[in-house]
Amino acid sequence: MAATEARIAPASRSIEPVARVAGLTKRYPPAVTALDDVSFTVQPGEFVAVLGPSGAGKTTLFRCLTGLTRPDRGTVAVVGRDIWQSPRELRSARRQLALIFQQFNLIRRLSALENVLVGRLAHVPTWRVILRCFTRSDRQLALGCLDTVGLVERAGTRADELSGGQQQRVAIARALAQNAKIILADEPVASLDPESSATVLASLRSAVSTGVTVVASLHQVHLARAYADRIVALRDGRIVADAAASRLDARTIEQIYERNGERSES
Amino acid sequence: MATVVRRAGEYPEPVVTWWSGRRLRFVVVLVLLGAFYSASWHLAKVDPGRLLTGLPKMAGWAAKAWPPATDELPVLLLRTAETIAMAAIGTTAAALLALPLCVVAARNVTPSLALYYPARWFLNALRGVDSFVFALLFVAAVGLGPFAGVLGIALHTWGSTAKLWAEAIENIPPGPLEAAAATGASRLKVVAFALLPDVAPSMVSVGLFWWEFNVRASTVLGVVGAGGIGQELKNSMDLLLFPRLLTIILLILVTVTVIDHTSEWLRRKLE
Repeated sequence: MAATEARIAPASRSIEPVARVAGLTKRYPPAVTALDDVSFTVQPGEFVAVLGPSGAGKTTLFRCLTGLTRPDRGTVAVVGRDIWQSPRELRSARRQLALIFQQFNLIRRLSALENVLVGRLAHVPTWRVILRCFTRSDRQLALGCLDTVGLVERAGTRADELSGGQQQRVAIARALAQNAKIILADEPVASLDPESSATVLASLRSAVSTGVTVVASLHQVHLARAYADRIVALRDGRIVADAAASRLDARTIEQIYERNGERSES
Repeated sequence: MATVVRRAGEYPEPVVTWWSGRRLRFVVVLVLLGAFYSASWHLAKVDPGRLLTGLPKMAGWAAKAWPPATDELPVLLLRTAETIAMAAIGTTAAALLALPLCVVAARNVTPSLALYYPARWFLNALRGVDSFVFALLFVAAVGLGPFAGVLGIALHTWGSTAKLWAEAIENIPPGPLEAAAATGASRLKVVAFALLPDVAPSMVSVGLFWWEFNVRASTVLGVVGAGGIGQELKNSMDLLLFPRLLTIILLILVTVTVIDHTSEWLRRKLE
């Protein structure tokens, strides 16, 4: 318990955070404020779960972190560098980040292996990408990542012929293949059955044990408590709780959801 | 709650004034359409009487045309092959030129809007001028023969293909492209690896359509001196060699039908 607490006290740490978000605000006119002055830092090697009901701003937060959406105000720094400084800075930040999407976003007509190789695109010379001629070591790395998610025997199968759970595992293999410092996962298990969910979260947890930082938004509180070190709760675009997973009892978190649910109905 | 019960014939009907705005608009549109067609009739110098006197002449030609001439068949077949070749080279050249431009002219992947709009204007200009007109200019510039036809086809098809390809690109789902871009890959890598496999089948389908279209179009390019079977067609017409003319028309019909079916079959295979 004490060890976990020490891990989540950012002020006491001298290590540079891998990601720092400050004053992030994003509005979708006319009426939606997706993010409202959101600030937090992520330490190396943490597994952070972002909890919150639909519409709380989780997806916008992940899109801002990867620079797919530009915030109205606030900064995003990855390994200490502002991602919006220049297009070059954005690309180098994206190399440190791997994003997993709720809708997988695989290239339908390519094989599972080729989809995992997408994670290598930024590391490979352009001519190799155009000719689709990857090195043996890149292909072996990609196959290894497929093995991690238990799909190495489906490497040659077209992405659109895989089940939803398998597609999401390919997407995780793609993220692993990036060798990124941080894996961001936006609702990675929202469309999966309990068994696939456990497999997917276990592979993310094992990535953490190899030194990768994981930030994942989740719907189920018990999963967040089982796999994450720290829980950040979002509601209406604001952070309403940020503490060690072991210190937030399930009751408190359920209440965040319930109260919000009642509110949106009234 | 009191329910009003009325019998048929007792319901009050909504009042329609004879000169309501909608009726007025309808009459104005009708008058304008009438004026447009009567002006067009005069401008096109439509004269059914002349068709009636011309028809027996054509019937006479048709009677004289049978049987079709076969003595020059080898030459005519060569000219037909020339027509197909013109369409193939012109369409392929157009496709190669269209490949980089369709990316610039697709709103979702264009490197910058400052390039997007000029690219669109350029493609629209190419599309606006028919390959026939381009061929006319090239005959004057590079001389008579099929090469002028190839250049004419290439320019017009460049614009048309690139525009249709750009639209195919704009219609693909953005998710996989975002996923590839989010790995830090450059735009060129994203386009080559993530975009191309998704749009390739529809791009090939568009390319085949234009090849087929150009075979049909290039049968007439010969009329302006740009080679192919069209040139023989015009010669025969000028010399009133009707059996030869009939052979040429039959050759064109067979060629176009075969190409249409091949292209359609290939395109269906792609889906």
